[in-house]
Amino acid sequence: MRRRWFILAGVLLTVFGLWVLDAKPGELVPSKGGRELAGEFFGAALRPALDYEDPAGTQEVPFFTKIAISLGNTLRYAVAAMSLATLGGLVGGILGSRAWWSRPTRGLEALRLTVRLAATAVRSVHELLWALIFLAAMGSSPLAVILALALPYAGTLAKVFSELFDESDDSAAELVRSTGGSGLTAFMAARVAQALPDLMTYGLYRLECSIRSSAVLGFVGVPTLGLDIKNAYEDGYLHQIWSYLYVLLAVLLLVEWWGSRARKALARGVPTKNPGQTSDDVRTLRRKRSHSIVLRGTVGLLVALTLWSWLGGEWSSGVPWERRVANLERFANELVPHAVREADDWSLFPSWWMDNFRERGWQAAWMTLHLGTVAALLAGAGALFWMTFSARSLATSRPRGIPFDQGKLRGIVGSLIRGVATIARSLPEYILAFLLLQMFGPSMWALVLALAIHNGGILLRLGAEVIDNWPSRAAEVVLSQGGSREVAFWSTLAPAGFNRLVLFLFYRWETCIREATVLGMLGVGSLGFLISESRVRFFYDEMLFFILLGAALVFAGDLTSDWVRGRLAKSGRA
Amino acid sequence: MFELKSVRVEFGGLVALADIDLRIESGEQVCLIGPSGAGKSTLLGLFNGRVMATRGEVRAEGENLSQFSPAKLRALRQRIAWVPQDLGLVPNLRVNQNVSCGRAGAKGFWGLMRSYLRMSGEEQEKIHALLQRVGIPEKLFERVDHLSGGQQQRVAIARALYQKPKAILADEPVSAVDPERARDLVELLTSAAREEGASLIMSLHDVSLARRYFDRVIGLREGRIVFDGPAHEEGVKTLYRLTE
Repeated sequence: MRRRWFILAGVLLTVFGLWVLDAKPGELVPSKGGRELAGEFFGAALRPALDYEDPAGTQEVPFFTKIAISLGNTLRYAVAAMSLATLGGLVGGILGSRAWWSRPTRGLEALRLTVRLAATAVRSVHELLWALIFLAAMGSSPLAVILALALPYAGTLAKVFSELFDESDDSAAELVRSTGGSGLTAFMAARVAQALPDLMTYGLYRLECSIRSSAVLGFVGVPTLGLDIKNAYEDGYLHQIWSYLYVLLAVLLLVEWWGSRARKALARGVPTKNPGQTSDDVRTLRRKRSHSIVLRGTVGLLVALTLWSWLGGEWSSGVPWERRVANLERFANELVPHAVREADDWSLFPSWWMDNFRERGWQAAWMTLHLGTVAALLAGAGALFWMTFSARSLATSRPRGIPFDQGKLRGIVGSLIRGVATIARSLPEYILAFLLLQMFGPSMWALVLALAIHNGGILLRLGAEVIDNWPSRAAEVVLSQGGSREVAFWSTLAPAGFNRLVLFLFYRWETCIREATVLGMLGVGSLGFLISESRVRFFYDEMLFFILLGAALVFAGDLTSDWVRGRLAKSGRA
Repeated sequence: MFELKSVRVEFGGLVALADIDLRIESGEQVCLIGPSGAGKSTLLGLFNGRVMATRGEVRAEGENLSQFSPAKLRALRQRIAWVPQDLGLVPNLRVNQNVSCGRAGAKGFWGLMRSYLRMSGEEQEKIHALLQRVGIPEKLFERVDHLSGGQQQRVAIARALYQKPKAILADEPVSAVDPERARDLVELLTSAAREEGASLIMSLHDVSLARRYFDRVIGLREGRIVFDGPAHEEGVKTLYRLTE
């Protein structure tokens, strides 16, 4: 019954959301011009540029050198930011967890709540928006970019790390305390040691995300691959766009593949190939002990990349110190609401706030909320639909171990869908939306679909993992009684894993809301549009107002999602 | 070694132990027998200060535990080893790192971190010798989650011995293994404790194991001691009734 209500609510919310967003089904078919452009654009995919499309243009460096420089910048900003964010995330994660306490006190609980609220608050502002703030305040400098990326990422890492510490088993820590070890020793030696594989796995996933974010920052002028994509599009060089996209995709796929190898090595360890004998001495046993080349390589590479990111490039923005301070002062002054600044009277602040909220703010926030919600629901529905074709345990000639007569084609289709889903979740939503907008024109569909495609790719993988690892034998019974894979999936696996899938959906919903606050910057009405408009006109007071409005929306979304997920997990059915 | 005088322990109004008087000498080997919820784990927890008495007096090495400063309690704990029911091992660490945890209190934070990251050859030799005693020397550098349940129990025993303890507290250490392996492990623990000259207090479910390896058996029911003494014929009947 609850499942039925949830699905009905999802359908109603989607229909209502699409009505709010004014996204008509007819617009899903692009106009003739849009179709031609799409054809031209996707046709170019087969022939990515190997040189500048305008050889007569005055180019400073060869084409591939330019790609290498942009890719270098993309990686450098991402890695440097992640190194800062990891430090912040570890400190915040420890302070935001209960795991290191010897005994609970009111002071510690207050500290924990403050840190967790601060972590949620900084990550409520999208990195693209942090970039707008830092670039306006500090001028165009690598440090501004790195801080813009590091701050929200530190918030996210702190939240996840503290949850990992709290969830780790306490029995080993209690053992350490029982031998006279201090609370800190017990926490580090037992809790952190246990959580380390999960910390590293999540850290590597966030590194992949930060490369995506770093590329997207190109759309506000940072010299990463995103800027090349934007410039190439504005100049009409479609083949060049594909070269940049392929390079970005290749790096992201490589990082994901590397991350999954490291995850496996961390989770299972490496079994000893040449087991020790009881007669072996310590030296022999030391020589025989297993080592993971993947793990050693990962740690070595991360250290090398971090050192390169901090030491291997230019830091100065070229602007003299005095001018930077003057710029910062001007920016700080501009943040004071216009009406207050003119009259030098803070009593005008509430009316300025209300005017902005009433005239444009609430409507944009309302649309942003529905944009995120509709996209998450469509992503969930899409993932559910494709799951039966993509889950490894079903897309084979022996679904869940039961021999079937046909299945080769299913295996190929399954691999194909998994490949498309990997590409979908590798491409940043912002870049997807940018490309779709050229096809659909200024329609909300472009933003909805970009979000739905990216998140659908993620949900498809998470959901398929749940289905593949589901312990119940009910699906096997249906299959062995002659039921098709679809019947087995919809009658047993989908209902059984439903709560888990809803849990993932809420987790992606909060991300969709966060992403929805910036997609409007591409020129379609939502909070991002107002932010972008204020920035172009140098109305920093309004820009900050809309950024904070978006942050409030994301913050509320985060808390709601946390609450729902907590309830779902607690209900025991998840 | 330990003395309990009219000790009562309550958890939120629920009585876990009531009016316990008990004395355990240095080097003595004692087995606690009783059904689930009888108070065996609570009683074991009193000896190393993991559980504090609601009323009465718990004395360790002649001193009242409730008057110990945190530093003094930590110092006492360094001399008392504990083998919990779930073993308290860190599954993704190697055996040598887990055994080194036994001396966490004595090493301090930085000392333990050094053992984790770069263990000295001397310490590796010491741990190897201990693993030889418990029968798994070849597992010195193996990840704990690659070991069988019985091997993991031996790691936990090695960790307890590495502490050079004056007393070993073992909370149902053989509850999850087959009878033959249980016998081996109890024999290992009792003989190791004897060699170290340490007291051993172990809770068990199996009366025959208790009779075979322990001179003194304490029977508990509903937080009270109902039997204390050698497991002679009369006592055995009481003990079997306790485990039914």
